[in-house]
Amino acid sequence: MKYSAERVVLVSLLLVLASGLAVHGALCVVADDASAKISEAGVALRRAFAAVLEAEGAGANVSGLVVELGLAGENLTFAQNAYGSGDFVEAVARADRCVVLASEVAGEASGLKSSALAGAKDAEWRLLAFSGVGVLVFLLVLVLAWAAFRRSYSRRLLGMRPEVGSDVEA
Amino acid sequence: MLRLEDFRVVFVAVGLVGVLLFASPSLGLVLHFPAGERFSELWILGPGHMAEDYPYSVKAGVDYLVYVGVGNHMGSSVYYGVCVKFRSQSEPLPNATAGSASPLVPLYEYRVFVEDGRSWEAPLTFSFAYVSQNATYCLVRGISVNGVAFEIDKATSWDAENEGFFYGLFVELWIYNVASDSLQYHDRYVSRWLSMTIA
Repeated sequence: MKYSAERVVLVSLLLVLASGLAVHGALCVVADDASAKISEAGVALRRAFAAVLEAEGAGANVSGLVVELGLAGENLTFAQNAYGSGDFVEAVARADRCVVLASEVAGEASGLKSSALAGAKDAEWRLLAFSGVGVLVFLLVLVLAWAAFRRSYSRRLLGMRPEVGSDVEA
Repeated sequence: MLRLEDFRVVFVAVGLVGVLLFASPSLGLVLHFPAGERFSELWILGPGHMAEDYPYSVKAGVDYLVYVGVGNHMGSSVYYGVCVKFRSQSEPLPNATAGSASPLVPLYEYRVFVEDGRSWEAPLTFSFAYVSQNATYCLVRGISVNGVAFEIDKATSWDAENEGFFYGLFVELWIYNVASDSLQYHDRYVSRWLSMTIA
């Protein structure tokens, strides 16, 4: 009977120890996961911003994307704070949300950049055409005006009558 | 009466001016004029969004509010990091000469995206916990920033000249550099002195 009780105590101790180790291991894994997710979110945020910057450089209006980036950044801040206070589940959830938002922003920025580049090319051609045609029409009008002016000037010159002056005193 | 050659000069001058006017939109594609000075602003305002009524004499268990803001004049959208740090009187601020950040660990970090010519502002609330003092020594073991609690261990000695136990709450501005793919200290910080008292 005594032998059996010792065995029960021993098994119980082993079970407690094993469950403690399992919980500790699980917590370590969760903490590592959260840390990895936060790093991933940071990278996603930087990439999304770089994409937005490219779109802006191409002439796209990125106001909406900048607001969305702000939301993604907020989520990353919350994730870091949750991680610091040991709330790894919340940290992972916030980091995931940041990654999703950042990916959406990066995709939209890419589309905006393409359409902005195409639009900029069209606008460039329109500008060049306007300038070219404008300069040609202006020069043509100026040449015609010069020809008309010269004719009128010659007519006025030929129509002048010579005046005879006299120095004879009365 | 003017001679025909004189009128020709007038026509040529008018022609040149006209050609420049019509070509100016296209010239803008080729000629790039130098941009103005590029810089960022960083500020802390009091609870009324004004540069007044800043928290100064603080104690444990009371919530304090200031506003932190950033202005972007860098010529394009910018990704800023705004780091909130807390120091005792003997701990270092950022080094303005070397342009390096304070080595203290940030308590809270805002990630801010601001378009060129725009600004951003957000509330910064803070409170203290576990403050102990004697005649010459003060120890702060807890601070909460925007509702997030942090364990700290900041001790400071009595400042006989200014008569108080002084701590500094400061924010540093960091900027994302696309080329190096990292946030770098932007050589700007704002600091406020806090005189710690016991309730």
